[in-house]
Amino acid sequence: MKSGSKRHFAPVSRRAFVGALVGAAFFASAAEAQVPAGYPADYAKIIEDAKKEGSVKVYATTDAKAASPLIKDFEALYGIKVEYNDLNSTELYNRFIAESASSSGTADVTWSSAPDLQVKLVADGLAVAYASPEVDKLPKWAVFNNQAYGTTYEPMVIVYNKSQMPAGDTFTDHTSLAKLLTAKADVYKGKVTAYDPERSGVGFLMMNRDVVADPKVWDLFNAFGKAESKYYTSAGAMIEKVGSGEHLIAYNIFASYAALQTKKNPNLGVIYPSDFTLVATRVAFIPTKANHPNAGKLFLDYLLSKRGQTIVAKAELFSIRDDVEGAATAKAVNEKIGATARPIPVSNELLGTLEQSKRLEFLNKWQASQKK
Amino acid sequence: MPIGIMRRLVLAIMGLMILAPIGIMVYQSFLDAPFFDANAKFSLWAYRFVLAEPDFWKALTTTALLAVGMTAIAVPLGALLAFLITRTDMPGRSWVEPLLLVPIFLSPLVLAFGYVVSMGPVGFITVWWKSAFGSEFWNIYSFSALILIAGLTHAPHVYLYASSALRALPGDLEEAARMTGATPRRVASDVSIPMIRPALAFSGVLIFFLGFEVFGLPLILGDPQGLLVLSTYLYKLTNKLGVPSYQLMAVVVMVILLIALPLVLLQRILLRTAQRYVSVRGKAVRTNLVRLGQWRWPAFGLIAIWFIGTVLIPMMGLILRSFVSSWGLGINLFDVLTLDNYVELFDDTEVVHAIINTVLIATVGGALSVGCYVLIALAQHRWRSGWTRISDYLVMLPRAMPGVVAGLAIFWIFLFVTPLTPLRTTLFAVWIAYTLVWLAYGLRLVQSSLLQVAPELEEAARVVGAKEGRAMRDITLPLIKNGMVAAWMLIVLIFVREYSTAVYLLGPGTEVIGSLVVSRWGGGAVDLVTALSCVNVVLITVGLLVAIRSGVKLHG
Repeated sequence: MKSGSKRHFAPVSRRAFVGALVGAAFFASAAEAQVPAGYPADYAKIIEDAKKEGSVKVYATTDAKAASPLIKDFEALYGIKVEYNDLNSTELYNRFIAESASSSGTADVTWSSAPDLQVKLVADGLAVAYASPEVDKLPKWAVFNNQAYGTTYEPMVIVYNKSQMPAGDTFTDHTSLAKLLTAKADVYKGKVTAYDPERSGVGFLMMNRDVVADPKVWDLFNAFGKAESKYYTSAGAMIEKVGSGEHLIAYNIFASYAALQTKKNPNLGVIYPSDFTLVATRVAFIPTKANHPNAGKLFLDYLLSKRGQTIVAKAELFSIRDDVEGAATAKAVNEKIGATARPIPVSNELLGTLEQSKRLEFLNKWQASQKK
Repeated sequence: MPIGIMRRLVLAIMGLMILAPIGIMVYQSFLDAPFFDANAKFSLWAYRFVLAEPDFWKALTTTALLAVGMTAIAVPLGALLAFLITRTDMPGRSWVEPLLLVPIFLSPLVLAFGYVVSMGPVGFITVWWKSAFGSEFWNIYSFSALILIAGLTHAPHVYLYASSALRALPGDLEEAARMTGATPRRVASDVSIPMIRPALAFSGVLIFFLGFEVFGLPLILGDPQGLLVLSTYLYKLTNKLGVPSYQLMAVVVMVILLIALPLVLLQRILLRTAQRYVSVRGKAVRTNLVRLGQWRWPAFGLIAIWFIGTVLIPMMGLILRSFVSSWGLGINLFDVLTLDNYVELFDDTEVVHAIINTVLIATVGGALSVGCYVLIALAQHRWRSGWTRISDYLVMLPRAMPGVVAGLAIFWIFLFVTPLTPLRTTLFAVWIAYTLVWLAYGLRLVQSSLLQVAPELEEAARVVGAKEGRAMRDITLPLIKNGMVAAWMLIVLIFVREYSTAVYLLGPGTEVIGSLVVSRWGGGAVDLVTALSCVNVVLITVGLLVAIRSGVKLHG
């Protein structure tokens, strides 16, 4: 992971220098051979220019650890070093807008799990228009103006503790969960947890989209209030505490997080709500102020390619392409939930959720639903 | 160079480094958009917005209560710990010291999580208690528990200040008291503790300030109740507006600054009579320990209780969590025991980088920082002028910004001040950020040992013809050696866990343990975080033990 990442402050050894020369010579000669199948012929020029740039700087919210197979494979494929910066979505936003306003340039690709913030950056004119050769392989809702691209297909699921749930209590969707919590509010008092829409951007966006998908979901939020649910700002704490039995149900958890944790704790169960399941995507774009725009294009295309998406699936980040096989893929998810998937579109629609008046309106309604 | 110019130069550089980030924040608070946005205009909107927010006032009140509460617990406790460990013959004191410091260098987020695993609603101690005695009497998510835990875990900070002052104290005063029949308790309360009043006043104000920016503890322990303190309020603010709003953050900083300045004034008043505390005089003394007699074991018991509550209980939770794949109700721990978390840890090259970087920046960087602090302290030493008065106020300011905000301000400086730009993604920038933010802490340690040096020693040197600079180098510096070592220790420990001020300066290759803990925690890798923290604790305590055993003189 992050190979060679210490180089920029270690003295360059002679061996590394010779190695770099040999490497450069080798890759220069291999350039044409590497245009991926089905790409336009002039793509060779992008590859060539990207190699001259030498490295690609990525600002991402995906854990460096989860992304490491992608990084390694990309580096092996093109011989271009990936400088991978693992940030949270607010840090990414802060860093990116300041750098875009400065003269020193910014990342070559941003890749964030906050689609609303990404769309805002695009709308503010901070992303270049670039039609990826992979665009036909992506669902329409995941492509925004040929500027921003959805890269994953992550259902929002409900995680629960199988061994500690009261015997006989079951739920399959938003409605039946609302009924269960309303009927047995005492039993579930303090046992349900979710992202706090007041303090967490993800929490706000997801609950907002829940309401778009089905306004009846307010019944569920009212039931949360009645059961005195606990709201958190991080998924890690929620899943951990459902696993330990302190809580029983965690609502709106990324399936990618849930998948990793259920493997380690067999007590955890995952429910894809059968009335509708939100599907989130990590959004990538190439900034206008990118220092290495060609390397950025290469990385974006790689991320969307079948090769890249196969690795996305293996890392359990859920591939967005139909033609990738495996458990963590759009194909497998759609087989499970079919027509009830409600992808969160990468579009102008998301700008509405960032408007202050609309946010306050939603939050006021939310606070009212939580009053006992 | 004449000493007067040196003094002014050092203080001017320090002032510039402090005022740059603060200045950006002041400026930002009066704008209606980010300051680097070409459309930003002058506006008081941010002030109106924040001051009209009920949540802001709630957060401010909670934070003030927390700060007062934890100071009231930490200062007396820290002073007592320092007295028992440095001035008495309490059994086991040399072994206790390194362990005592665990709460300083362990990320508060992790420490708080340790309490959740051990004493949370389904923690292993709670479950055992329930099966033995029925329902438990504590709730670690309550506000009083938060204050108590914050107080207990900040006592070691006070301990460091108090112990370095106590070590410089000659034993004759205590001995005289003991010989005239005073009990060890009287010796402590009437002789030793009053003599170190300046160190306690310093640390009291510092702890109060730390209270204003505690983040990890309320994040973990207050999250389930939605408890708001100023640092978590900043998140809520960002979320209300959808995107981060720097002018609103800046206004919060302005409010904290307004609280900070009178505190510094108070501190100056407390120290106006600093002359009274001179204890390193121009005569040879031998330090004798206060013999506790029959109080030896009760004293040991007291420390043991504090230690169990503050270090052992959370550490047991962490150690347990790091060796299992899951825990809690309905899980037989013997079925889930595993070494996987550790195997995974050492497979992770990022972790290895982080450990190396952290050790480097803490030890080497820490020593350099203390060097800077000593320079500044000497520049102010025995110099009554407007310069020293103003710089006394200034040093406190960087700490008035919550870590995340300070991180942003420092990032902006490195980004927009062109000569600094090339340094931005290096460990050097990280070091500058750390040095700046912890300036007040390191400097106070150095200053409080300087306070104890009697002027006659330097005067003697001057009388025999030494210049002022020579007297400082040959007389003053050697006399405050202990203070410098203590300052270095504190800085090493604090740098080990610090990261938030450098969060925008860290990149691939410059990751540190603190940033890794938070980013992995956010991604839900609790097992990796707990394993890393246990390795961290072992590394640092072994390091401290080796240092002390191999003759790093902490005991005068």
